[in-house]
Amino acid sequence: MVEQIHKDFRKRDILYSLALWLLSLILPDPQLHYRSEYRLRWRDLFYLLAILLLPLLFSDPHFHHLMVLAGIHGILALGLTLFLGYAGQISLGHAAFFGIGTYTTAILTTRHGWPPFLAFWASGIVASIFAYLIGKPLLKLKGYFLALATLGFGEIFLVLIKESASFTGGVIGIFGIPWFSIAGFVFDTYLKQYYLVWIVLIGLVLFTKNLIRSKVGRAYMAVATTEDATSSVGIHVSRIKLEAFMVGAFYAGLAGSLFACVMSTATPETFSLNLSVLIVMMVILGGMGNLYGPIVGALILTWLIDTLAQYQDYSLPLYGVILILLLIFFPDGLGTRLRVRLIYLISYWGRKKRREKVNL
Amino acid sequence: MRKSALSFIFLFIFILSFSLSYSAEKSPYKVGVNFELTGPWAEITKTLRNAMVLEVERINQRGGINGKPLELIFEDNGFEAGRAAANMTKFTKDPEVLLVVGPFEDTLQATTRAIAEREKITNIIVCPSNRVLREMKQRWAFNIAHNDIIVSEKLVDLSLARKYKKILVFHAAHPLAQTLAEYYKRFGEEKGLKVFISPETHKHTDIDMTPQLIKMKPLIEKEKMDAFYACTSGPPGPIVCKNLRALGMKLPILGTHAFGFGFIIALGGEAMEGVEFPGAKPVVFDQLDENDPAKSINIEFDKRWRERYGTPSDQIAGYGHDIIGLIENSIKRVKGKVTRETFRDALENTKGFKGTHGLYSFRPAEHDGLSKKDLVFVRIEGGKFKRIRFPGFE
Amino acid sequence: MELLQIIPQFLISGLTFGAIYGLVALGFVTIARASQIINFAQGEFVMLGGMVTFFFIKSVHLPYLLSAFLAIGVVIGLGFLLHLLVIYPLRKASLPILLLATLGASLFLSSSSALFFGTLPKALPPFSGKDLLEIGGVSFSAQSLFVLIATFFVLFLLYILSHHTHLGKAMEASSTDPLGADLCGISRHLMTFLAFGVSSGIGALAGIFITPLFYVSYHSGTLIGLKGFISAVIGGWGKYGGAILGGFILGVAESLSIAFIPAGYKDGVAFLILLLILYFRPKGILGSPFIDSRRW
Repeated sequence: MVEQIHKDFRKRDILYSLALWLLSLILPDPQLHYRSEYRLRWRDLFYLLAILLLPLLFSDPHFHHLMVLAGIHGILALGLTLFLGYAGQISLGHAAFFGIGTYTTAILTTRHGWPPFLAFWASGIVASIFAYLIGKPLLKLKGYFLALATLGFGEIFLVLIKESASFTGGVIGIFGIPWFSIAGFVFDTYLKQYYLVWIVLIGLVLFTKNLIRSKVGRAYMAVATTEDATSSVGIHVSRIKLEAFMVGAFYAGLAGSLFACVMSTATPETFSLNLSVLIVMMVILGGMGNLYGPIVGALILTWLIDTLAQYQDYSLPLYGVILILLLIFFPDGLGTRLRVRLIYLISYWGRKKRREKVNL
Repeated sequence: MRKSALSFIFLFIFILSFSLSYSAEKSPYKVGVNFELTGPWAEITKTLRNAMVLEVERINQRGGINGKPLELIFEDNGFEAGRAAANMTKFTKDPEVLLVVGPFEDTLQATTRAIAEREKITNIIVCPSNRVLREMKQRWAFNIAHNDIIVSEKLVDLSLARKYKKILVFHAAHPLAQTLAEYYKRFGEEKGLKVFISPETHKHTDIDMTPQLIKMKPLIEKEKMDAFYACTSGPPGPIVCKNLRALGMKLPILGTHAFGFGFIIALGGEAMEGVEFPGAKPVVFDQLDENDPAKSINIEFDKRWRERYGTPSDQIAGYGHDIIGLIENSIKRVKGKVTRETFRDALENTKGFKGTHGLYSFRPAEHDGLSKKDLVFVRIEGGKFKRIRFPGFE
Repeated sequence: MELLQIIPQFLISGLTFGAIYGLVALGFVTIARASQIINFAQGEFVMLGGMVTFFFIKSVHLPYLLSAFLAIGVVIGLGFLLHLLVIYPLRKASLPILLLATLGASLFLSSSSALFFGTLPKALPPFSGKDLLEIGGVSFSAQSLFVLIATFFVLFLLYILSHHTHLGKAMEASSTDPLGADLCGISRHLMTFLAFGVSSGIGALAGIFITPLFYVSYHSGTLIGLKGFISAVIGGWGKYGGAILGGFILGVAESLSIAFIPAGYKDGVAFLILLLILYFRPKGILGSPFIDSRRW
């Protein structure tokens, strides 16, 4: 009898683990940072192929455009996840760095004739310089007060943009930013922009992957867990936080530069508190301390907002309700919770069958 | 409970992804409408939507255009540039969509108009767009509203007729108000007025302008200003007038054409008495000349509007009426197959189309439909809009 | 010379705004004293207070006073609902999630009030007939006196509540020492629930007093809520007196700033003061009792 159950269990075990293995091929890996070595896995290849082939399968300009926006949001969320997800600090001013990136590109390309490729890097660098200046005094704050201070920075940024009309075009903004181009190759259709944005995103994901597996990344997580213990083992807590903030701002600056080249305009209203909240929402929805999560969150939210548009004036109330429901039911991220649920369900089926057998 | 709510979310998302599919017997003429139905401009865009829906229903009841119904597809862009652009590509993707109306606010228009230009689809816009946008001279963009040039010229006429010499301009910090102020200064100084643009501005969300006005008070008293130009739109207009009167300043107030709404008087109350502005014809349609075609059109439209929505119609509703009228008129004038290209050519050849706002004419070099003749002088008296005339200027 | 003449007028305008900010800030502080949650939907309660009163007066044709009381009742009900539907399910959630949930609630409240009450801006008549007063060349609205009185009245009531009733002390205990409160048999969730009711009531009251001065529109709540929150932080997070003091400082600073720099920078001034206070004295001017506790 016992042997029978044992044998049965092992057979099922293989079956279930097979299913789990198949799932693990495509589901993101939430425990990425626990592993000591990194190698290219099958699922990474799967993602890469999917990203490269998807726009060719669905060749419609609206889908491409949406994916371009989602990719830009993904870069933003990826930057914030270092600060919010890994280092555990909240920022409600991330849209300001996005705006700094956009305006840097806009001013450099339209007024000074810089090629977009150089302006792209300059945007990231300028954004992280600003992050240094802001973060140096403010990052001593924690929790709600840090959120409030970064929010204040975002609002001050908006006011400055609107008031310095000769420099930033004031409320009218800057028009006619050229397409992104590298060595004469111009990204002038949404398909080309799709590949541009997503290749930048893939590059940043690889960089971030290495970063969080390095000494620095582990320090981020240590800071998120407990600051006192972290400083007691000789990690400079405030410097680590500042670094995470600056890297996040660098990403946001790059995203802003891409946004400027895609939309060909820079107007102040784009960088309001709503965008900051949206980015934080993407990170939370994707799961804190998870690399692929924010990108999935960006995809889902961009798609959701676009779908809600047809409900006209009901779109905003619906968005608010969906936001709250998602927070209540998936507080630790859509991916994480779904994955746990799936594993739980599979093992639950197994146990149920086994229980029935034993009862017989 | 959690589980059921969870399944509710999934069900909800499932329903969302399969949007309503209309069963089209005769394939309709589709018109994409890309508006800020949520966000700070919701009031205006909702009025526009109601007017357009009203007109389209009337046309479809009569059997449509050339036997085909007209269909409106609404998308909300939430006052965000990215979403407005995404909606625009959504419309261009559908080959049956003939043209796109909107977005309303001009900060969103730069990108969407560029997309319309690239994808070769007509884009009708309702907001008088700012200087930079208009100077692009785009082939596919058509403006329905009075542009800032004619409003400013008309206001200069009003100031000349009233013999104002020195005018102080207090403008809002948004593109339309800014260009209105600049044009007013330019045209006014050509005619010999002295126009001071105050460095103080206000925002659309400000609820109190007293501090700005206090700061202007010494300037007004020192220079003996003849008039005060509240160059703004929406709720700030009456707030400025209220605060100005509360500070004990009695000088006459000039307004923009955006003052011609009932709620402006309701908000401002007594402070609005005596405010004068260049208004659109629907604001005072019952006081128009008998031979003005806009009068009968407005009376008829106002009747239908009241029957349906129970409130008086306004100038924004008039724009909605005129958009649909222009679309119907242009489709009828197309010879042969109606495509995006032929529709654009027909619209560009519109000559003297009669709408609630006056006569619309487009030319290849001029994509602003209305002219200075389509504005009248309006004064607020006794809580009502009253048309005023000046010999030599009307 | 010119400046000296107009400064009293600036001060009056600033004090009016200070009273408003203080009144809104009291709502934030009430919740903070009971549960250390920040409710970003507080500004929407202010907006709803004015909106619902207007609705009762214009659509149901009730007298002013009755509609005001009914509006306060409705908004308190909404405050309770907010706690039951959003805050209570998230009682164990981390900080960013709570923050986003209240922001989402604020989004929902403002946009659905646009659906229910329409998007037109609305104005209520002033409480007293003759609205404009003038003393010594400085003119101001009588309504701003009412706002001032209301602010100090609410402050007085809250003082009674927190210092002279068991309920108030229980609320405070559940925030300063959650474990101790549990051991004493105080239900923390009930206390938070009640605090949301009180705070939304204060918000509605603020809305009713403010609306005759300006106007109310579906999107006017967010900014005023934010300013109220800033005043609470400036004065000392968690202190009733601090909220009022912060409100006056913010209002006067904003108003006076216009005398020296262009008006476009006005909103920036509020946040600049906030950043300076947060950097040099995060406890706020009066010293917050909560700033050292674990959650901050």
